[in-house]
Amino acid sequence: MSIDYSKEITLVQGNLTMAELDNAIARPMDERPGKKYFIALAFTTSLLLLGIIGVSLTFYYGIGEWGNNQPVAWGWGITNFVFWVGIAHAGTLISAILYLLRQKWRTGISRFAEAMTIFAVICAGIFPIIHTGRPWLAGYLLPYPNSHHLWPNFISPLIWDVFAVSTYFIVSLMFWYTGLIPDFAVLRDRATSKIKKTVYSLFSLGWKFSNRDWRHYEKTYMILAGLATPLVLSVHSVVSFDFAAAILPGWHSTIFPPYFVAGAIFSGFAMVVTALIFMRKVFNLENVITMDHLDRMNKIILLTGSMVGYAYLMEFFISWYSGIPTEQYQAINRAFGEYAWGYWLTVACNAAFPQLFWFRKFRRSIPVMFFVVIMVNVGMWMERFVIIASSLHRDFLPSSWGYFRPTLVDFSILIGSFGLFFTLVLLFSRTLPVVTMSEIKAVVEGAQPSHHEGDHNG
Amino acid sequence: MSKIESGYTKENLPLSVQKIGMILAGIGLVLGVAGFLVNSYRASYAYLVSYLFFLSIAVGSLFLVALEYAANADWSTPFRRISEFFAAALPLLLIFVIPLFFNTGKLFLWSHSSYIHSDSMLEAKSAYLNTPFFMVRVIVIILIWCAFYWLITKNSRKQDSVQDQLLTKRNITISVIFMPIFAVTITLIAVDWIMSLESKWFSTIFGVYLFAGVVWSSLAALTLTALILKGKGYLHSAIGKDHFYSLGTLMFAFTVFWGYIAFSQYMLVWYGNLPDETFWYMQRWDGGWKLISLLLIVTHFIVPFFGLLSYEAKTNFKRLKFMSIWILCVHFLDLYWLIIPSMSRTDHIYSFSWIDFVYPIFFVGILILVFNKMTEKTNLVPVGDPKLERGLNFHL
Amino acid sequence: MANKKLYSLAALFKTPDEIINAAKKTTAAGYKKFDVNTPYPMHGMDRAMGMGQSKIGFVTLFFGLSGATFIFLFMWWCYAVSYNLVVGGKPFFAAPAFIPITFEITVLFGAISTVVGMIAVYFKLPDNAHPLHDTEYMKAVSADKYGLVIEAEDEKFDKAEVTEFLKKLGAYKIDSIYFPEPEKYRMFAPKFILFLIVVAALTSGLTYVTLNKLMYITPFDWMDYQSKLSAQEGSSIFANGEGMRPPVEGTIARGYMPYPYKGEANPTQVLSNPTIPTKPILDLGKRKFLTFCSPCHGNFGNGDSRLQGQFPSGPTLHSEKIINYPDGRIYHIITDGQNAMPSYARQITRDERWAIIDYIRVLQRAENAKESDLKLANKESVSNVQN
Repeated sequence: MSIDYSKEITLVQGNLTMAELDNAIARPMDERPGKKYFIALAFTTSLLLLGIIGVSLTFYYGIGEWGNNQPVAWGWGITNFVFWVGIAHAGTLISAILYLLRQKWRTGISRFAEAMTIFAVICAGIFPIIHTGRPWLAGYLLPYPNSHHLWPNFISPLIWDVFAVSTYFIVSLMFWYTGLIPDFAVLRDRATSKIKKTVYSLFSLGWKFSNRDWRHYEKTYMILAGLATPLVLSVHSVVSFDFAAAILPGWHSTIFPPYFVAGAIFSGFAMVVTALIFMRKVFNLENVITMDHLDRMNKIILLTGSMVGYAYLMEFFISWYSGIPTEQYQAINRAFGEYAWGYWLTVACNAAFPQLFWFRKFRRSIPVMFFVVIMVNVGMWMERFVIIASSLHRDFLPSSWGYFRPTLVDFSILIGSFGLFFTLVLLFSRTLPVVTMSEIKAVVEGAQPSHHEGDHNG
Repeated sequence: MSKIESGYTKENLPLSVQKIGMILAGIGLVLGVAGFLVNSYRASYAYLVSYLFFLSIAVGSLFLVALEYAANADWSTPFRRISEFFAAALPLLLIFVIPLFFNTGKLFLWSHSSYIHSDSMLEAKSAYLNTPFFMVRVIVIILIWCAFYWLITKNSRKQDSVQDQLLTKRNITISVIFMPIFAVTITLIAVDWIMSLESKWFSTIFGVYLFAGVVWSSLAALTLTALILKGKGYLHSAIGKDHFYSLGTLMFAFTVFWGYIAFSQYMLVWYGNLPDETFWYMQRWDGGWKLISLLLIVTHFIVPFFGLLSYEAKTNFKRLKFMSIWILCVHFLDLYWLIIPSMSRTDHIYSFSWIDFVYPIFFVGILILVFNKMTEKTNLVPVGDPKLERGLNFHL
Repeated sequence: MANKKLYSLAALFKTPDEIINAAKKTTAAGYKKFDVNTPYPMHGMDRAMGMGQSKIGFVTLFFGLSGATFIFLFMWWCYAVSYNLVVGGKPFFAAPAFIPITFEITVLFGAISTVVGMIAVYFKLPDNAHPLHDTEYMKAVSADKYGLVIEAEDEKFDKAEVTEFLKKLGAYKIDSIYFPEPEKYRMFAPKFILFLIVVAALTSGLTYVTLNKLMYITPFDWMDYQSKLSAQEGSSIFANGEGMRPPVEGTIARGYMPYPYKGEANPTQVLSNPTIPTKPILDLGKRKFLTFCSPCHGNFGNGDSRLQGQFPSGPTLHSEKIINYPDGRIYHIITDGQNAMPSYARQITRDERWAIIDYIRVLQRAENAKESDLKLANKESVSNVQN
């Protein structure tokens, strides 16, 4: 395997023409789905149904249906929330941050990743709402003049969460939609049925591919990417503040913001790779979502996994260094106490298995890749749970010590969130173009003019 | 390949550069020794600030070189040598640490056994915070950095004459291995040299904080040097607005990154309000330090943020030069703010002293001398690098 | 279609180099109202068309900073002015705590303003009636061809000239694009009216159901229906179906001590007087005696009732018998009543009863005063004055 460093890696393989690309990407929307699709959809919808049952029971009977107790007052609700928000971040990283870093290889995967962001944020947003006692009163979280003269507690990290996740959802949605406008226009012009044509015309807003518009479009896209990048960093930092702003040993640690952000990107990329392994095979997009894409994503998984490992080491070292007995106890308890099984699973999945990706052979092997990313998904969920449970279950007073056991309702809601996510992914794959048509055409060989002026405006 | 050859010829820098370097180093040396003779306590602290500034540029430049290989970037290839030359200062770290080793007693309370034994918490830490282990750590870390520097630049230099792509592949492997080692070593440097000045204070994010400043200042050193050299025609002619725009963007990004890390650390300590942690910030809010803290926020974040925000700002060479110099000065201010308040333990020292500003003169002179020496031996542009052509053709 | 108005001439090209070249030549030729349509943004096209950078960034900056200022001031106002609430020991103006939300709102306002500004102001979208829509030209340009459009409204436009110009540029196809015919909508078309009626019915129905029914089904019922028993509510647990039950046998009021000798005519044991006859107690006793006892027993306890025979008068309190009663016996008589005297337990509190008894003793002593008492009285009154 010799690589020629003087040439750029071709992004679209197989010498596809633009028309062939259009056809390949639009085919899932033009054709009727096959039996396999409906079986998959039935499976994910049944998982979703399980979740709906769990949520309905929670609404009707209250949070007592969950395993939360004193002192572990935060259980799977918050774990699932942080897990899903983390997964959402990979999408924004791929579409916004890699755009700013001018990594053209993102074009094949950016649409799918952005869609995943939005679906993951939807899954995440469910949890803060259902984990309150009367979730139908969630509107009180927003500031409005009321007869009690009360305002939301802007000083609490939980309110920062409300603003951060809502902003993230709205901005991601707008970013996604902006990218979809030209694609809707392409679909509009290809559409044969009147209904499809009307719908696509509506959503494309009348986009006419004019360069006068492209100029503003590109600038807006860059501005949105530039806004989304710090937004993504801030959202998971605000989520980490939920823990770090408290004074619990094991939670109150200044490294939490970048540690959580790295962990979020880590778990998100793992989820993207999981989905893309299937997506590229099922939709015959192996020439567009190539092995090089997966290779690069696995490198990022290795990088962010190492950052998470660094944070583990730092926490451990500084717990000892601080000399504070509660900190030291907490560090030892996490590794050898009642939740030690969770801790070591986390370390194995997050720090150990991704090290396989040092080797090019493993980065480009689908079975190894699949194993590692599934482990990462499991490990990242477990990490959030271990952080929450191991610090809460050993309260400051020994008389308050407890243990958390999840209930069947907890399980059903977690499974249901996966069901929701994959149902949305499946629906998305058949109704919207999975790859950004206009962007991918721009990076095909011969798509750009050959002469470049010396200085131009960019 | 003709484009590469037509745009660059190896030229030695004018003699004036060496002269300036020698003058600065000479003045710095004389005043520096005088500083130690007048007030060795203050001089130790001031020297530590400048030493860490010197270390920032040296190891930060090595990081930038490794980053380019690891990320397989091509736009920075045309001026990667500038960072390689700054990284050549790494072995000198071993020599210039000697004054600090002689003054650990003045800098670090934990080096006094009486202080350690007065407090059980410190006794527990003494397994890590003791002078012999400290010195061993510092020396080993610098040696590791020197080893990586030598490995990477050896291949890079060889590639000028033997255009072998295998050398790039090797450097990529070395660079990727360097990354985690760098993360751990820079953290240890931050903990050992800065955090342990207040041996009862701790912060898990401190290594990341120093990392942000190190990379920020190294980018500024790279940009400033590249701008000066390009202006005088020593760099390849094809290096243009777009390359500097990218450098400016990176400086902007690390400005925001530093702001994020600094705010995270501050806000979490403020919010938790635990006396164990807040006292460090209270030291930096005491009397005159309040002004310096506010000044740091303005100069380290607000000014570079707005100063590097627009496209025009990043492509106007004069503005970019100004911002690079600004960033270098402010990184010095950052280190000053981190280190000097620990000096005023019993008597609160709020005033500047001439000693504080003597050592940067010395170290800047040394950096210029090192850079100049390296340009004599090696090409300023890596002519044999396979990514060079793409790098020169880089446009937004 | 002779009366159709020409919008523009549109030329199609096959390669990126051709379209860049075409754009440059068109700008150079002095045409102002022209446009280039490409399936994706093309490098260098802005310059070829003689256009500068887009200014939309200023919109972002302005709205972003406005949002930041607004929300920061709002949070300051909520906590430092409107309702001062101490949260976690933080100051009212908790600036570091306000930063995260300020940042989020900056991004939110910046992003929304940019996108809305881009679509509504710069693109002037939505606009599905543009002449270029639904043409072969548009279909080609959205797929994989590149197009150049020169509008008829341009000053230098001349159909033949422009056609020649475009042919020279290398276009493989040149189309004439016409304005679409203006559509006429009849205001009162039956389908439309039906549509309005359906929408109205649906909206009002859904609103009614949501606001009046859905908002109140369990568990969204604002805790209107609770498991506890409310006052006057019935209950199936009890035999007589009533929710409100009488107190259980032996229930006593809070702070109440039952009287142990109730109903006994001549108790062998009686309570003992816990009071010391101080002046306030004697004053109280006197007031209560005059109120309750004097109508039957007389103002000085002599039995000279004011009732003038309308009610049997009480005996004198200065008889040998009553002087020898223990205080508790008199207390029992006041509490339980005796013969014609009813129970005064409801009118006179226990402390008042003892005060009355103290006063009665004073009266008894006064009625049977001795010489020595006078001397004692003088002495006592002098010492009282001194006190």
